[in-house]
Amino acid sequence: MELNNSKIKIKAKNLNVYYGKKQALFDINLDINQKEVTALIGPSGCGKSTFIRCINRMNDVIDICKVEGSVEIDGAEINEKNVDVVTLREKVGMVFQKPNPFPKSIYDNIAYGPIIHGAAENKDQMDNIVETSLKKAALWDEVKDRLNEPGTSLSGGQQQRLCIARALSVNPEVILMDEPCSALDPIATAKIEELIDDLKKSYTIVIVTHSMAQAVRVSQKTGFFHLGKIIEVDSTDKIFKNPANKMTQDYITGRFG
Amino acid sequence: MSGTGHTVKSYEEEMQSLNDNLVMMGSLTENQMADAMAAVIKVDKESVDKIVKNDGKINELRSTIDNQITTVLVKRAPMAVDLRITISTMKISHDLERIGDLAKSVAKKVKPLPVDLPDELIGSLRRLGDLVQKQLKDALDAYLNRSKDKAIEIWKKDEQVDDLTNLAMNEVATYLQKDKKNLEMATHLLFVTKNIERAGDHITNIAESLYYLIEGEYLEGARPKGKPVES
Repeated sequence: MELNNSKIKIKAKNLNVYYGKKQALFDINLDINQKEVTALIGPSGCGKSTFIRCINRMNDVIDICKVEGSVEIDGAEINEKNVDVVTLREKVGMVFQKPNPFPKSIYDNIAYGPIIHGAAENKDQMDNIVETSLKKAALWDEVKDRLNEPGTSLSGGQQQRLCIARALSVNPEVILMDEPCSALDPIATAKIEELIDDLKKSYTIVIVTHSMAQAVRVSQKTGFFHLGKIIEVDSTDKIFKNPANKMTQDYITGRFG
Repeated sequence: MSGTGHTVKSYEEEMQSLNDNLVMMGSLTENQMADAMAAVIKVDKESVDKIVKNDGKINELRSTIDNQITTVLVKRAPMAVDLRITISTMKISHDLERIGDLAKSVAKKVKPLPVDLPDELIGSLRRLGDLVQKQLKDALDAYLNRSKDKAIEIWKKDEQVDDLTNLAMNEVATYLQKDKKNLEMATHLLFVTKNIERAGDHITNIAESLYYLIEGEYLEGARPKGKPVES
């Protein structure tokens, strides 16, 4: 399913996921290119969120969840027993549907990760990480004078950018976004989309979205999931102008059930 | 998943109405072209005013379609085949409107023509008119049937339109050389011929738009061209 000569960052091979007896993903094979945005679309319950949770082993925290098959990042299998999930999640950050800042100051929200990972030796270094992360998330100018205020005092859009800054603070290589704009107004959404466009120069981004227009705007590659299977993966341009699969076409044109 | 109509009924109705208006526009344009050609061949000056008047209906439909498309774009943000239908319908409606204008121009040239138009001037012109009308009919049928093969056939056949145009123009030029007094009539007939040929070009555009609608890709390669006019 590789489209061009871009380097593959993440490779899922024959991935099957079960929640107890219920199978949520069926034999997923999907390549995700480095420093590109890949959008995953599909109706609710189709498995797209389950899929991205396989990329940083978030499914490990669900007792009844069983993952079979392979997910490689830069050619290394992440499901090996000796893989440290904390290190993995440092490399693969995640942003969720609803902004979920810690009940701490803006500064501490960003500093939390680097403290855990021992990324800063002194206050100056930490200040630098906080400032850089907030700048990368296009939030610095709005919060630089109130870093000690609670993260929860920010607007929804600002909170989501704070969560993105928090993910960036530990120098990840991949950022997973699970419907990051669904709780935001159009202006806050536009800011996040602008940010995604900027971040893809340095990071590999996988975004789950229910907004077709958003997938078109932000991604270079799109995968359509349905009932736990990947139906079609292609360039975003192809998927939204001339998809090969009828199910994809029915979904994106609003002809679904 | 139904796999047929849109889940939102009003969207389905909007697309259907767009289709119906385009078909209606096609049908009116076809009639206009037929009437204009008949008027030239028979030098029927009485039908001219009616043809000119009827062009207004085609223009109105184009405005209606333009408005409908704007609404669909803003309300539905159409994707995939819906996007291609929307874009192609806009382009086809503009080509039909231009064909309508050209039919009107052809009809207007009938008034200054002499009633006893020599047969030697009509032969190629009639064949050209017949071919262009057939091309238009085929294009509209191909649109209704979503026929990719027919679209390609029409596209390729424009070469014949060019060849017949050249032939018809040569005949007029030869006639003009016999007697310079024929200048005014010859000029009108040359315009008529050129207008029909241009209508043929718009039909080729329609074939291209249709191909894009069906395939999601553009017809590749240079347009077929007829032989240049021999002097």
